[in-house]
Amino acid sequence: MSDTGQTARHALALQVEDLRVSYGPKRAVDGVALEINEGEIFGLLGPNGAGKTTTLSAIEGLVRPDSGSIRIGDIDARTNPAAAKARMGVQLQSTSFQSNLTIREIVRLYAGLYGVPLTRAGIDDLLANVHLGEEASKRFSQLSGGQQKRVSLVIATIQSPPLVLLDEPTAGLDPQARRQLWDRIERLRDIGRSILLTTHSMEEAQAVCHRVAIIDNGKLITVDTPAGLIEKHKNDPRVLKVAHGQVTLEDVFIGLTGSDLRD
Amino acid sequence: MLRALLEADLTVQLRNGRALLLTFFPPLAVLYGLSTAKRGAQLGGPIVNVALALTLGIALIAILGYTASVARDRELGVFQRLRVTPAPTWTIMVSRLSVQVVSMLAMSVVVLAAAAVIEKVTLDPAAYLLTLAMVIFCSAVFLGVGQALVGLIKSVDTVNALGRLSFLPLVALGLFGHSDVFGTTFETISRWSPGGAVATLLSGAMRPVAWTADTWWALLASVLYSIIFAGIGIRWFQWSTR
Repeated sequence: MSDTGQTARHALALQVEDLRVSYGPKRAVDGVALEINEGEIFGLLGPNGAGKTTTLSAIEGLVRPDSGSIRIGDIDARTNPAAAKARMGVQLQSTSFQSNLTIREIVRLYAGLYGVPLTRAGIDDLLANVHLGEEASKRFSQLSGGQQKRVSLVIATIQSPPLVLLDEPTAGLDPQARRQLWDRIERLRDIGRSILLTTHSMEEAQAVCHRVAIIDNGKLITVDTPAGLIEKHKNDPRVLKVAHGQVTLEDVFIGLTGSDLRD
Repeated sequence: MLRALLEADLTVQLRNGRALLLTFFPPLAVLYGLSTAKRGAQLGGPIVNVALALTLGIALIAILGYTASVARDRELGVFQRLRVTPAPTWTIMVSRLSVQVVSMLAMSVVVLAAAAVIEKVTLDPAAYLLTLAMVIFCSAVFLGVGQALVGLIKSVDTVNALGRLSFLPLVALGLFGHSDVFGTTFETISRWSPGGAVATLLSGAMRPVAWTADTWWALLASVLYSIIFAGIGIRWFQWSTR
């Protein structure tokens, strides 16, 4: 590989090549390739069961891929999963923590798992920063949906990872909580973090993502900026068929993935 | 990492103090029942009665308590959240198991103290230490059974139901390992069942001077049961309910 090629590789926060994952006879992810640059917010869009969460799970080390490569920065996640996990922050689609621990204790546990020395005052500061100072002694189940997502995000970024994976981070949130979370995601980007998020919200993809990819039936259909995707597919007959007036990202999404209901 | 997990798991266990205390009652009730029953002596005498009570307590914590907490946390997604951290998966399980062993030791201390009052069974310090060491060793048998149950079955309800059902062949059968009340064939089967082997081993630890060949065989049987059950539970453990 040329010097230029090597420099380009080091600028990537995440590189996935030819990823294939199966659940029994069903191929859930089929040859997915992704590259996420440092400081980029990358959105993965797809209908239910398209392979978004499975792709993330493979990157996170929760499922074993059949084949393909996953590099977190310059670390091979398949041969060195512990080092890769140390460089990743993860917010799962439905996160739960030990039900009898308080929020403060949960943060202390995860700080310990990532080797981050945090005093009680440090934990309280961290929680106060996300307006959860008053909730530090509560259990996770006692928090509202928005508060739970904030706790999850605090834990996902507790070790200041260069790459943050967010699986449907704003699902189920009210508009205020959603906007607040977008602000937090953008602040992470501003301090140089790379973010890979999955979402069903086209509004969210357009608002926060530099680039988005559409995935369906385990295959990546297209990748571009939100505006670039609209431009690229605005004359596609499948897209025009579902558009109501000016073509939107949602029209492109439905045009490319079909109108049929999924699981 | 292990320290952080241990601290968290111990905190969770202490917060469940009421449930933990409830697991102390069945072995105490069995101890009292065996000591006052007319046929109590036919099961093997005071030392065996204490061993049977300890066996029941260990099995309760492992087969009902441990499996229930693991099945519930797995369904909630607690393990998946832990697995995306750099913590090796073995530390997640070792932490959980260690806390169960601590609970078993606490239960054993209570039962041995009660035995001194109810059965007038007092041991010399070395025998107490050996008994507690054997409690740790025997915990592997029933934690292995629990691990196999919760490892192979995803549903919380099924794990709970099978945990209760498995008490009959695994624990209750062992009550008659030192009694020919149902005949010698039944006694032999009972003695080499998991519960019977553990009870033999614990009664041997309480009377080290009377440690016999049968106690060594019980030790070997316990090792084999631990390896088989834990092997199944670890090899086929399912981290998520998906």
